[in-house]
Amino acid sequence: MSADGLVFTPVRRLAELVRERRLSPVTLAETFLERLERLGSRYNAVVTVTRERALEQARRAEGEIAAGRYRGPLHGIPYGAKDLLATSGGIPTTWGAALFKDRVLGFDATAVRKLEEAGAVLCAKLAMVELAGGMGYRQPNASFTGPGVNPWSRDAWSGGSSSGSGSAVSAGLVPFAIGSETWGSILSPAGNCGVTGLRPTYGRVSRHGAMALCWTLDKLGPLARTADDCGLVLEAIAGCDPADPTTVDRPFRHEPAPAADRRFRFGVLAGVTDGCEPAVRENFEGSLEVLRRVGTVETVTLPDLPYDDITRTILGAEAASAFEDLIESGAIRGLTAPEDRYTPYARDAILAKDYVKALRLRSVMAREADRVLAPLDALVAPGRAAEAPPLTAEVRSAIRGAARDVMGAVGNGAGLPAVAVPNGFGPRGLPTSLQFMGRAWEEGRVLAAAAAYQARTDWHERHADDLE
Amino acid sequence: MTQPEAVRAEVEAMLALVRDRYGDRLAPDELDAVRTAVEGLVQAARALRAVRLDNSSEPAQPFAAYRAEP
Repeated sequence: MSADGLVFTPVRRLAELVRERRLSPVTLAETFLERLERLGSRYNAVVTVTRERALEQARRAEGEIAAGRYRGPLHGIPYGAKDLLATSGGIPTTWGAALFKDRVLGFDATAVRKLEEAGAVLCAKLAMVELAGGMGYRQPNASFTGPGVNPWSRDAWSGGSSSGSGSAVSAGLVPFAIGSETWGSILSPAGNCGVTGLRPTYGRVSRHGAMALCWTLDKLGPLARTADDCGLVLEAIAGCDPADPTTVDRPFRHEPAPAADRRFRFGVLAGVTDGCEPAVRENFEGSLEVLRRVGTVETVTLPDLPYDDITRTILGAEAASAFEDLIESGAIRGLTAPEDRYTPYARDAILAKDYVKALRLRSVMAREADRVLAPLDALVAPGRAAEAPPLTAEVRSAIRGAARDVMGAVGNGAGLPAVAVPNGFGPRGLPTSLQFMGRAWEEGRVLAAAAAYQARTDWHERHADDLE
Repeated sequence: MTQPEAVRAEVEAMLALVRDRYGDRLAPDELDAVRTAVEGLVQAARALRAVRLDNSSEPAQPFAAYRAEP
């Protein structure tokens, strides 16, 4: 297999080659380390290449596999972690902020530890929007490593906030990456960069060792080439963790592929494409035609509630508390995006009573979403309303109230799983995406639906050709 | 007071709080941007307040009484 073919090969196939000892984990790590070092800066995708740790882990994997101790499908597989996950061994954890560019935490986040136990090879800490975008940024240039650059067009954004996780997978710098989502930060870079991203159910993956932006909204999940790969990674990182009391003891076992004759029932929220660019609407309609080959599609409605306001109020209040020290001390002056240096002060205007009201309405929202989702396998919708914006453009964000995003508000507010997959291109040659959102703890169903879509399309097999 | 007047009054009251706490750090254009952000937060809060809930509608939160073992 050529190097070009290798770096765009799904984890599932790489794992077969590694297990059969036709591909050395050390060679694999060297291949991706070289690309991270050579191409990472082009996309502002990388904060730290973890060469020493990667080669140590890869050599260990090679020895174990040679000795017949194969751990599973991530054994010997390289990956990158969003730089809000704590790492030991003197590797910095920067949260994308100049304030913390030299900060070393000295321990591994639970997700990083679990991946190590699965035999995965940490090759890089990946770039992100500073403080995961929680300060109200309005532009791509909101990280001390520079704006996330999209592999499909170097004039376009890759984010955010898991910008490096999206672009690194897209450009073949790692086979998979870990990102985080509070509202949109996995699905958005996955959609912008033309890769597959999974936002798990809140409580599925331990947040221990991850930067807290919003304790009741933050979730960790994989970005990879396929829905199947996302399932493999989720199986490795999911599980109850005493260090994160919000994790729940519900086992997750990934099923490789749905049966060829499996039928699905999909719902589409009425008006879900309102405000979308024409190409996004057109590609979504095309996706529905594909989905009708594997199931039914029906229009559904949610009751009229202020979904965006509920989730926005919770996020604003918790972020203001999570970063109280930085805000009160004025240390936010050291952030990159000018608006991140003062916008957080506005959040003192959120009253405790209104935050509690948002939490009460969140219960209603969660029940209503579950009622609508119960008979369905998934709600489907465009992953993003538009192609990735130019690097110089203002970012439209539902978090700031600059755009509406009912799927994101409900999905994140109610802690529901969703997977975004590429489903075409827009007029600027940038990917568009399709999202599948399911009931709580039904990652298996949304992944099966996404896998069924990917079995009938080839958008996920494409990659930008301007990569050398 | 009309609704727009009530919104304006609430925004000004909230902005006064923010200005009192952080005004010495904010340039005029930054204060204008903060005002826009406060307007958004006030509009969101008013949308939440407009929904009536029963007394029994509880917040979604996981508080549990704590006791160290044993």
